[in-house]
Amino acid sequence: MPIGPPFTPDYRKGQLTAIRKLRKNPRVLFVRLPYILSLVCIVAGIAWLLLLPLDEYSRRTYISENALLPGQVHAYFSGSEQHVFRGYKQELEGLIPGEDQEKGVSKADAQFTSEVSNKVQSILSAAGLKVATQAYEYTSSGITHQGENTYAIIRAPRGDATEAIVLVAAWRTADDELNLNGVTLALTLARYFKRWSLWSKDIIFLFPPDSKTGTQAWIDAYHDMQPASVQPLPLKSGALQGGVAMEYPFDHRFESLHISYDGVNGQLPNLDLFNTAVSIASGQMGIGANLQEMWNHNDSYEMRLQTMLRGMVKQGFGYATGAHSSFMPYHIDAITLKTKGEGWQDEMALGRTVEGLCRSLNNLLEHLHQSFFFYLLMQTNRFVSIGTYLPSAMLIAGNFTIMAIALWMRTGFDMDTQSGPTAVSTSAPKEKTSSSSEARSSKEKESATPSPEPSGIMERQLALPLTLVGGLHLLGLVPLYVFNNLSYKVSPIPQVQQLNSMTFLSISNKQQHYTMATYICIAANAILPTLLAAVLSSLGFTTPKPQQYLLIKSFSLLLLGLFLSTLATLNFSLSFMIGLLCAPLTFVSRLNPQTTSVGLRYALSTIGLLVLNLLSPPVVLLGLCWYTGVSVEHVLTQAAFGWDVWGMWTQVVVWCVWWPAWISGCALLGFSLF
Amino acid sequence: MISLFYLFLLPLVALSSAIPATSDYHESLTLQPLPQSALLASFNFRSNASEESFDERNFRYFPRALGQILQHAHTKELHLRFTTGRWDDQSWGSRPWDGTKEGVTGVELWAWIDASDDEEASAKWITLTQSLSGLFCASINFIDSTRTTRPVASFQPTGDHSISNNLHLLHGTLPGEVVCTENLTPFLKLLPCKGKAGVASLLDGHKLFDASWQSMSVDFRPVCPHPDECVVQIEQTVDIVLDIDRSKRPRDNPIPRPVPNDQLVCDTSKAYHSDQTCYPLEKTKEKGWSLSEVFGRSVSGACPLGNDQNSHDETVCLRVPHEREVSISLGALEIKKPDGVSRCYELQPFRDFDLVIPEQDATTQVPLEEPVLRAERTIVGHGQERGGMRIIFDNPSDTNAADFIYFETLPWFLRPYVHTLQATVTGRDGVRQQVPASQFIKETYYRPAVDRERGTQLELALSIPAASTVTLTYDFEKAVLRYTEYPPDANRGFNVAPAVIKVNGRDAANGRSHPIYIRTTSLLLPLPTPDFSMPYNVIILTSTVIALAFGSIFNLLVRRFVTVEEAEALGAQTIKGRLAGKVVALRDRLKGKTSKVE
Repeated sequence: MPIGPPFTPDYRKGQLTAIRKLRKNPRVLFVRLPYILSLVCIVAGIAWLLLLPLDEYSRRTYISENALLPGQVHAYFSGSEQHVFRGYKQELEGLIPGEDQEKGVSKADAQFTSEVSNKVQSILSAAGLKVATQAYEYTSSGITHQGENTYAIIRAPRGDATEAIVLVAAWRTADDELNLNGVTLALTLARYFKRWSLWSKDIIFLFPPDSKTGTQAWIDAYHDMQPASVQPLPLKSGALQGGVAMEYPFDHRFESLHISYDGVNGQLPNLDLFNTAVSIASGQMGIGANLQEMWNHNDSYEMRLQTMLRGMVKQGFGYATGAHSSFMPYHIDAITLKTKGEGWQDEMALGRTVEGLCRSLNNLLEHLHQSFFFYLLMQTNRFVSIGTYLPSAMLIAGNFTIMAIALWMRTGFDMDTQSGPTAVSTSAPKEKTSSSSEARSSKEKESATPSPEPSGIMERQLALPLTLVGGLHLLGLVPLYVFNNLSYKVSPIPQVQQLNSMTFLSISNKQQHYTMATYICIAANAILPTLLAAVLSSLGFTTPKPQQYLLIKSFSLLLLGLFLSTLATLNFSLSFMIGLLCAPLTFVSRLNPQTTSVGLRYALSTIGLLVLNLLSPPVVLLGLCWYTGVSVEHVLTQAAFGWDVWGMWTQVVVWCVWWPAWISGCALLGFSLF
Repeated sequence: MISLFYLFLLPLVALSSAIPATSDYHESLTLQPLPQSALLASFNFRSNASEESFDERNFRYFPRALGQILQHAHTKELHLRFTTGRWDDQSWGSRPWDGTKEGVTGVELWAWIDASDDEEASAKWITLTQSLSGLFCASINFIDSTRTTRPVASFQPTGDHSISNNLHLLHGTLPGEVVCTENLTPFLKLLPCKGKAGVASLLDGHKLFDASWQSMSVDFRPVCPHPDECVVQIEQTVDIVLDIDRSKRPRDNPIPRPVPNDQLVCDTSKAYHSDQTCYPLEKTKEKGWSLSEVFGRSVSGACPLGNDQNSHDETVCLRVPHEREVSISLGALEIKKPDGVSRCYELQPFRDFDLVIPEQDATTQVPLEEPVLRAERTIVGHGQERGGMRIIFDNPSDTNAADFIYFETLPWFLRPYVHTLQATVTGRDGVRQQVPASQFIKETYYRPAVDRERGTQLELALSIPAASTVTLTYDFEKAVLRYTEYPPDANRGFNVAPAVIKVNGRDAANGRSHPIYIRTTSLLLPLPTPDFSMPYNVIILTSTVIALAFGSIFNLLVRRFVTVEEAEALGAQTIKGRLAGKVVALRDRLKGKTSKVE
C-alpha cells in the first residue's frame, strides 16, 4: 500500500486522508515500515563502508605526538657493525643443525635450543647487558607448548627504571620461519645501543622461541598476571612505552618492509607508532612500507578497499598476527617489521630503521596517547578514524534494534480488533486459505487474544519468550566450552609438540576431533530449531501464541542489536561481520498459518531454513576454511589456543551472540512447519 | 671493602673533630675503577665552625647562605640529596658510604627542626623548603604536606643534640626532579674554594651529568667532641660513577659511531674470522685513563684554604692494586697503604695534579663488597582502576638473617589495601611458598593517607632469613583526580617515591652496628586520565545546544505564526500597514509597474 501522498493539486487533502488511514490502520507503521527501515539501515551500512576508501572520507595520516620527531636523527648503525653482525650470525649458524636430506632435517626447522639460548645470553652479557631467562609452558587442545624466553636489559645510563622500550626478535616468525637474521640483528643492535648514553628509557631485548607463546608469557609475567605454568620474571624494568618486533626470515637482501599492527581481539596500537615506522622506513631510509600483505598497492579505490577489508578480517577474527600482538591488551603499543621481497636493502637498513624507531620512542615524554587507537588503514598513509567508520557498523546493529522495538510495539496492539475488515482486505492475496486452517486460526485468535481491551491494547505474555531467548543464550556456552576444551589428539599419548603449528597441517593420520565436532555441530544446528519448534508446539501448554512469536523475535533481535552496537565500539570489524551474517534474521519470522497456504508455508519455511543453515556459524567456518584452504582443525586449534593463551574473545561473540540469535531465527521458521 | 676504606678515613674525622672550636676544612677524592669500564669517584668536602661563631653569624668556611637559612628555620640537622641514575649493585658491589650519602632518584630532604609542636615544625619546614628551593635552584618548594612524612624508625639523628631541643623529624622527596647543572653550581658555591681549586675543580657539569650514576649530598649536623664544646659541621659529597669509554670521548665528537674496521677487536681464533666477519672480543685489559681524560681537566692544586699548612692531608686516593702502574704529576707525594689495594696522594697548592693509569693486563681486582640486601620494587597488574605493588627482598648472605626497616611513602591517589599484604618466600632451591606476612614483619607503623592532604606512610620492621628471597605484595586502588589536579604530562604517569631501606649492618671489626641505606627505584603509576580536549568539546556542544534551544524557544515565544492571508488581513487593518501598502504601491508605480502580479 502506498504511503506517500498522491501528487495531485489538492495534495493537502490527500495527505490528510493518508494520515487518517494510517491512524485507522497502523499495520503499515508497525509491519511494513520497520522492514523498510531495517533494509535501508543495512544497505546504508554497507554503502557507508564502501565509501570510506574515497578521498573525501579518508584522511592522510599525520604524526600527532610532536615528541616523536620521526626521521629527524641520523642513524649511525652501519660500517663495522656489519662485520659484527656477520660474526654473530656465523656463531649462531654454527649451533643450528645443518641441512640433512636423509633425516629430513632442514635448517629452516631449527628450534631455539638451549645451546642457542646460551650463546645469545653470553653475547648479551659480554656486551654489558643484564640477562635473564624465563621458562613457560602452556597447554591447549591437549598440545603442550613450552619454551624459554631469553631477554636482556640495557639500563638507561641516567634513567630511573620508570620507563622502557621492548625490542622483540623471535627465533621463529609469526609464519613459523626461522628468523636468524632478525635475532642476529637484535644482538648487534644491543651491543651498539649499549654505547649510547642518550637513552632516557631502558631498552629490553626479548628473544622468545616463537611468536605465538613467548611474548605472551613474558608480558603476562612482566605484569605479574601469569598463570602458574609460567615462571615469574627475575629481572624487570619500568612501564613499557612501546614495542617493536623485527622479522628477517631469509638470507638475501630485501625490498620493502611489511608492518603488522593487529593485536589480539582487534586491538590496535596507537596510530602514531605505525606512522612513525612508515615515516622512518619510507621517508628517511627510502624503504617501501606495506601493510596487510598488499604488495602492489597502487592507491586505487579497489586496492584501498581490499587493504581495508583485509585489515577488517584480521581485526574481526581477533587473533595475534605476530609477536607484537600480545602487548596490546596491556596498553603497550607495538608493531612488527618484517622484511619482504628481493631488493637491495640489507640488514643494516633494517637496523637503522629500528634505531630510528627507538630514538623516536626514546623521545617520548608521555605514553603514546595523542593519536587514534581506533582506525582502519587503507594505505600506509591513509586511514579513516572511528568517527567516520563507526556509523557503518552501528547502522547494521541498529537495524536489529529498530526491528526489535517495532515488534515490541506491535505486540502491544491488537491490530485485528481495531482495523477489523480493513486488515483483512489489505491482505487480499492471502485470503484464499483453506477452511481447516481458518478454523484453526480463529481458534488461535481466540486463545491469543483472551481479553482484547476496547482500546486495542494487549497484554504481553513474556514468560515463554524470555525463557526461550535466555535459555538459548545460555545454551551457547555448551559449544563454547566444547570447542575450547576439545583435545587435539595426535596419538593416544599426548605428545609434546615443539611449538610448531605448521606440523598440524601435515599430520593427517590422527583422530580429527575438531572436524568431527564441526560436523556434529552442523547437524545439531539443522535439527535443533525444528526440534525446538516441534516440542514446543506439541506440548499443549507451551504452544506459543502469535504474539509470543513476535516477542521471541523481538527479544532475540534486541539482544543482538544491543551486543553488536556495544561490540562495534570495541571491535568494529567483528561487529560488522556478525551483523552482516545475521542480517537475514531481521526478515525471517513465523509464517502465519492464517494467511499462508499450507503448501506455500512448508515450501517457504523449508527454503528459509536451508538458506539460514548455510549461514550458521559452523557452516560459515567450513566455507571460510574451504575458501582460504586452511584446515578446520587448524583454525579451531588456533581458536582454542587463542582462548587459552591470548585471551581471545571471538568465540564468545560467535557462540553467545551470533549462535543464539541464529537459533531463534531458525526456530521461528521451524514453528511455521507446525 | 669500600666501607672499610671509609672507615679508614674515620681517624681523620676523629682527629679533625678533636680540635674543638676551630674552623677547619677538609676535602678528599677517592677513585675506584669498577668492572665494565666504570669509575667511581667520591668527592668529600667537610668544614666546621664553632657553635658560638655560628650563632654569632660569624662564618669562615661555613657557607653563609645556607647557615642563615638553617638559623631562620630553626633546623638543627639537615640532610639534602640530589641523585640520578641507578646504582648497579650486581656489577659494582655495595654502595659508597653504605648508602648514607645518597638519596632517592631526584631530591630527598630530611631535617630535624626545633619546634614546640607539630604545627610550628610544619611551618618551619615550609620555610626551610622554600628557602632551600631558592638556594639550590630545585623544586624543593613542591615538597608540600602531601609529600612530607615523619618517619618513626628509619632515620636517626647523626649529630649530638642537646636534650633541651624539641626536635621534629620531617622527610620529603621529589622523585621526578631532574638533577642538572643548575643544582651543581649553587652546590659548588657553598665550598670555600668554589670549585676553583682543590678536587672540586674536577667537577665539570658536562662530565658530571654524563655519569651513569651520581649523588650529591649536603649534611649539616652539630658535633660535640666534648659536652661543652660543640661545632657545627657541614659535609658535602659528590659520588659519581663515570663510564670511562664515554668520558674519554672528545667533547667535539661525542657520538659513539661504529669504530673503523681496523680498530675492531675480533676473536681471530674463530674459523669464520675474515675482513668482513668479526666476532667481537671483549677487552681483557684494564682500561687506561687519566684524570684529565675522564674529567676533562686536571686538579688545579690543593685548596689553599683547607688544612693547616703543617699537617699533611692525603687528598686524592686511588683504589687499585699496588702492582698497577700509576704515573702522577710532579710535586705530589704518593703514599701506599698497607692493605695492598689503595694509595693516596698529597697535593701541593697552586700546582696542577694529574694522574695517569696506562692500559694494563688485568691481574688482580680490588674485591668488591657484596651488598647486604637486594631490593626491587615494581608495580604489577594493569588497568585503570587497580594495581598491585610487589617488593622483592633478596638476602644474599648464607648465614645471617637481614634485619631492616622498610619505609615507603605513597601519594594519596594510590590507596593501598594493607589487608592484602602477602608474603612469598623462595629458598635457594627455587621453591615458592606462600607464608603469612607476619612471619617476617616484626613491627608495623602505618599512617593512612588523607585525600589531598597527606600520603600513606608505611614503615615495616622486617627480618629476612638467610639465603632466601621474600616477596611482599599488596593491592592498591587508583584514585580519580580532579580535572585541574593533573600535571601537563598526565599521560606519562605519576611518580611514586622509592622506598628507603635501613639495614642494621654490623662492623666486622668492632661489632658496632651502623646503618646501611638502600633505596629502590622510583615508580611510575599510570592513573586514569581524561581526554583533556573533552571539556572544550563539552563547552562547544553545550553552547550549540543552548543556542539552538534558546533561539527556537525565543522565536516561538515572541513570534506569532499566521497564514499569508491572515497576515495580509492583519496588515491592512493597522495604519502602519496601510501606509506601508501605499508606499509599496507608489514605488511600484514609479518603477513603471502598472499591475500587480498575482
